[in-house]
Amino acid sequence: MLGKGAKRKLDEHEDGLEGKVAASAGGGPSKVSYTLQRQTIFNISLMKLYNHRALTEPSLQKRVLINNMLRRIQEELKQEGSLRPMFFAASQPQDDPLDEGYREAQPAFSILSAAAQPAQPSALTSTTPLESCLTPASLLEDDASFCTSPPSPTPHPQHDGLTKPPPPHPQVAIKDSFSSALDEIEELCPTSTSPETAAVTATAPKIPPPPPSPPPVLDSKDLETKVCSQKFEGLVTQQESKASAAAESKLMDSSSPSNFEITTSTGFLTDLALDDILFADIDTSMYDFDPCTSTTGTTSKIAPVTADDLLKTLSPYNNQPVTPNQPFKMDLTELDHIMEVLVGS
Amino acid sequence: MCESQGRFLKQIRFGDSSYSERRCVADIISTVEFNHSGELLATGDKGGRVVIFQQEPENKSQPQCRGEYNVYSTFQSHEPEFDYLKSLEIEEKINKIRWLPQKNAAQFLLSTNDKTIKLWKISERDKRPEGYNLKEEDGRYRDPTTVTTLRVPVFRPMDLMVEASPRRVFANAHTYHINSISVNSDYETYLSADDLRVNLWHLEITDRSFSIRARPGAVQLRGFKPGALKPSCDLQRLPRKDIVDIKPANMEELTEVITAAEFHPNQCNTFVYSSSKGTIRLCDMRASALCDKHSKLFEEPEDPSNRSFFSEIISSISDVKFSHNGRYMMTRDYLSVKIWDLNMESRPVETYQLCSLYENDCIFDKFECCWNGNDSVVMTGSYNNFFRMFDRGQKKDVTLEASRESSKPRAVLKPRKVCGGGKRKKDEISVDSLDFNKKILHTAWHPQENIIAVATTNNLYIFQDKLNGPPVRGGGGLIKTNPGERGDTTECPLSVLSV
Repeated sequence: MLGKGAKRKLDEHEDGLEGKVAASAGGGPSKVSYTLQRQTIFNISLMKLYNHRALTEPSLQKRVLINNMLRRIQEELKQEGSLRPMFFAASQPQDDPLDEGYREAQPAFSILSAAAQPAQPSALTSTTPLESCLTPASLLEDDASFCTSPPSPTPHPQHDGLTKPPPPHPQVAIKDSFSSALDEIEELCPTSTSPETAAVTATAPKIPPPPPSPPPVLDSKDLETKVCSQKFEGLVTQQESKASAAAESKLMDSSSPSNFEITTSTGFLTDLALDDILFADIDTSMYDFDPCTSTTGTTSKIAPVTADDLLKTLSPYNNQPVTPNQPFKMDLTELDHIMEVLVGS
Repeated sequence: MCESQGRFLKQIRFGDSSYSERRCVADIISTVEFNHSGELLATGDKGGRVVIFQQEPENKSQPQCRGEYNVYSTFQSHEPEFDYLKSLEIEEKINKIRWLPQKNAAQFLLSTNDKTIKLWKISERDKRPEGYNLKEEDGRYRDPTTVTTLRVPVFRPMDLMVEASPRRVFANAHTYHINSISVNSDYETYLSADDLRVNLWHLEITDRSFSIRARPGAVQLRGFKPGALKPSCDLQRLPRKDIVDIKPANMEELTEVITAAEFHPNQCNTFVYSSSKGTIRLCDMRASALCDKHSKLFEEPEDPSNRSFFSEIISSISDVKFSHNGRYMMTRDYLSVKIWDLNMESRPVETYQLCSLYENDCIFDKFECCWNGNDSVVMTGSYNNFFRMFDRGQKKDVTLEASRESSKPRAVLKPRKVCGGGKRKKDEISVDSLDFNKKILHTAWHPQENIIAVATTNNLYIFQDKLNGPPVRGGGGLIKTNPGERGDTTECPLSVLSV
């Protein structure tokens, strides 16, 4: 009966996704929800691949199919112009010596950064005034400057219907500031012995173009340091970052109606500490599963539970306005989480 | 078939008699297979056990009565192992069982887990020798000085004892998980398939697998005698050559795996294998020793309007079965059952849609399918303990449910209907309320009679057909209930609903 209940919620959740995709004949909501669905599927696929802690060898067929799915998403993103060849793992994952070298990590990892990007522009198109913003203000400034520029002649699927479709540049700028932020993180973070730091160092892109405009770096550095150190204290579990990443993508969807309007500065958090966002009291007990029972369809049980929990984690965020910080921080934590997995925690 | 005869549900449930909430993982049935005569039904489970049921002989006093199935033999086929190289367990779950045709008093079957195939001999013993001169009946040796006369030991009847003994163990041949085994029509060789390779074995030889010695212009042998088989390798020492190998040089380029394989029922040189991309390749072993180049490729072009994120996953073929006459083959992917004419590769001749798309991990469930004895009806399982039958001739199909709650022991199975969404009529099941944890993955059809075996998670249901009209074979069936009981039969005509 428990399974049945979980299944219902999963169906509702996915019916919602399907409904959104099916209901619209084209235009803004369908594109956004398509992106959202793609992001969700991407996250779920990664979870299936990397959270598998079975005692027996995982099914090659399943891994091949999931990996094909991730590759297809990667191809789509590439065609949309979002993909940049960044963040290749420096070392192959140690936890997969099976099957004579079949690796999912490498393509998946580059997809991760790519898939995380499209969520940002949609968030950033909820435009921002420059003052009273939390960092990274560099992002905000770049974004604002680009948002005021004339719309690009090449439409982006996720921006159709929005009042100010940003040109491709914000994505470039975002990536650049993102990568530069990563560089800053690795400089700032004192715990260089932690695997996350090493991983982040390894995965930071080697030749990021400099950010177009000089940002108030201090603010960004402060927050990044704060996030970085808190992250390295190990407070964020894998599932939390996954949940927050997925919740963040859902958040994008729930806030997409607001993207049609230009919001004012009240849309940004001034007094909400990042701690509350990142380390909110997310119940991760459902993600802890007994290894002894993992041989029987663990992944099949986890998937509906996870989606269920994603819905639950969504609720704390419903009342909070969109911030550009959130996607940025989510990407960092997601990135760290992925590196944790790859390095072989 | 469906319209003229009432369909009876005589249920024999083998499994946990208590309410199925208490599930023992090891009892999950993982394969079901009738033998060539249909008298024996073998099931394998997740705990590595094989349970064989035997059909009771027809009662002379009631010639209309088909025998029911009772437990015949139980043995532990596979044990869990540990792969020290990869630090992973090797599951003892029985993936497939295939019977060999009976040649003498004993029965033989092949059972396989992920890595190892075993040939089991099941023999009966109903007599034992008694009256030894030197031994007591309990086995103790007699004092020779007490022996005064000699006698000849005689066989005396004893309680029937069914023994299963492993005769061959075919090991160390598969790097990946074995998904199929198939006995050749020569009854001397068989194939085993894992995700990337297909092996050819000779039943007598366990230390090597084979490929065919390719001789241009050679007359096809009826069977592959060991002399005609070229040992492809010594499994212990030499690099292996399989008859099919789709492993790419660079594993990162791997995008497709083998999902099932089967020998043609009549042509001992022909076999097919299906892939995760929805294609089926037919190979002729006479063409070359390594059957990488297929003779025929069966693939249906994708309908672009149905494309979704999951298009590839749901097109992955989970089972492929030749028809008994060898002219058709059936494939099961996630959404449909397709029947292919072996002479037409471009598209299937028949397609039966099963249910709407379910976007959860169940999308990786592997459903099997089976033909009835005269290839007129095909059957496959689904969710909510439903199973579907498609009558090819009459273009009708029916959905039935295997559950203790919904069927009395002798009642007719009530056809179910699943509605996709929107308005739900009375007695219909809405798609949203299907239980995805209750799935029928394994089904089997008696080779001659209308007897089917349907495995839910850890229960086995055996259903028999009550015939009103012209019988399929013999008389109609007076259905017995569980062993020892007898009761009235109830019947009602089957109303076929198309889902």
